[in-house]
Amino acid sequence: MPREAEPSLSERTFTLQAISEGLRLDGRKLDEFRRLELSFGDEYGVADVKVLAKVSAEVTVPFTDRPFDGIFQITSELGPMVAPSYEVNRPTETEVLLARLLEKTIRRSGALDTESLCLVAGQKCWSVRVDLHVLSADGNLIDSACFAVVAALRHFRKPDTSIEGETLTVYTPAEREPVPLSWLHSPFCATFDFFGDEGDIVVVDTTWLEEQLRVASCTFSLNKHGEICQISKLGGRPIEATLVIQCAQMALAKVKEFTDLLDAKLAEDAKRRDKGGLMAELSAENER
Amino acid sequence: MAPPAAELSHLPKADGSANFSFGGYTITAAVNGPVEAQRRDENPFEALVDVNVRPAAGVGGTAERQLEAILQPALRHLIAIRNFPRCVVQVTLQVMEAPENAYVNSKVMQPRLNLGIIPSLLHAAMLGLLTAAIPLNTVASATCLAITNATAGTTIKVDPSPTEIDQATSVHVLGFTAGRDLLIAESEGSFTAEEWDRVLQTAENVCCRGQETGNDAEMGGYGAESENVLQFMRSVLEAKAAESLHWR
Repeated sequence: MPREAEPSLSERTFTLQAISEGLRLDGRKLDEFRRLELSFGDEYGVADVKVLAKVSAEVTVPFTDRPFDGIFQITSELGPMVAPSYEVNRPTETEVLLARLLEKTIRRSGALDTESLCLVAGQKCWSVRVDLHVLSADGNLIDSACFAVVAALRHFRKPDTSIEGETLTVYTPAEREPVPLSWLHSPFCATFDFFGDEGDIVVVDTTWLEEQLRVASCTFSLNKHGEICQISKLGGRPIEATLVIQCAQMALAKVKEFTDLLDAKLAEDAKRRDKGGLMAELSAENER
Repeated sequence: MAPPAAELSHLPKADGSANFSFGGYTITAAVNGPVEAQRRDENPFEALVDVNVRPAAGVGGTAERQLEAILQPALRHLIAIRNFPRCVVQVTLQVMEAPENAYVNSKVMQPRLNLGIIPSLLHAAMLGLLTAAIPLNTVASATCLAITNATAGTTIKVDPSPTEIDQATSVHVLGFTAGRDLLIAESEGSFTAEEWDRVLQTAENVCCRGQETGNDAEMGGYGAESENVLQFMRSVLEAKAAESLHWR
């Protein structure tokens, strides 16, 4: 497959000059995000931000070394849909980094209570799987991917189950309304890109062109309470410590915005599904 | 059943892209091409058609490979491949949503042939190819039919739902080009030769309906039994072309 074209010299100088003057090609401010669009599918657990995240669950046998935990995995795929240079079944560096970052942000931060996925200790558990399909990418893939995964997981409903003695019953959607996952907190990613010789110009939500010209980048994952899950800065120019702290502050503001947006969208979707106000009665879930 | 819906050129990076939804299925197609083929699979006389089906959940397995094997020869007949030697036309089909049977909890990792998805995949691929402006010999449409044996006799259901497919004795997918030539014929289940003849007749009527002008009204109008997808594709593309040429 053909290689992706690198930005030309004139493109490079023009973009960098503009950024150093505080201007961006699409007319945004340096600390301004593109408008985030989120839509949920008709099924539960489908969220689409030009990346598609699909959640699915099935009953399996837990890992022998962790008999009380369910299985939760996130897989991501970049295919020829993004650009012809991505090949099928040959993961690129971006894909590996994306998968690792999502893993650290969502799985290792304990956003999903895996113990609640256990049905019969050591014998049966839920295996929740998130499949992330990138449809199109123009920079800042990590933030949008993380948003999509969190949105899809919070939107997802798994079939209801009951245990009587030794027998486990999994109810179909027609028998009992599916139940949401036990979700503990919603971490989001905010990526900052640094430009300039000293790396002192901070730009958020970069486009693909800007992303190719950055000198360093740093991704913060945190929830709206300001609890940081991870910070990753993979190589690039060294950055002043004060700047990193400033970025963390900005990230918190951004994450609060993301949380509000997601909550609003989820409430909107719940209202759309709640035809005739029957949802409260259909739900077999216990009040916490 | 809801009428088909489509969105064209919604992915900025791909040469052509389309989102097609009908009967609970939503498919996104991205088409890149003609691009240079890799050395190992280039053909000096014609373009290679590379079809890639991706499931919504899980990684693609044997079921997806089989769908690819059904679609790839069909698309090869449609694309003017001899115009582009040593090239490749990449068609990526991403399943976004598939209808679920509310009475059964489905397993993710169970490969199972799903004939019902083929029409949507083909239509999405067609729209993708058309928006990518890839020269085509002809256009095509397909339909899915299910035969149910009840005490009252056999009935043929066009565009069956997953529940109806589960109850059917045989499921058939037939595709026709705009010139009424048979392009795809896949069947599953047990059926007699007479039943297949009836299926062929019905499918031809469904796919090629309304090509003779004035026929539409007699058949009960647009959407009488199922949507005429070729007409739908034409109207969507006309709307898109009108929108794109609005500046003139």
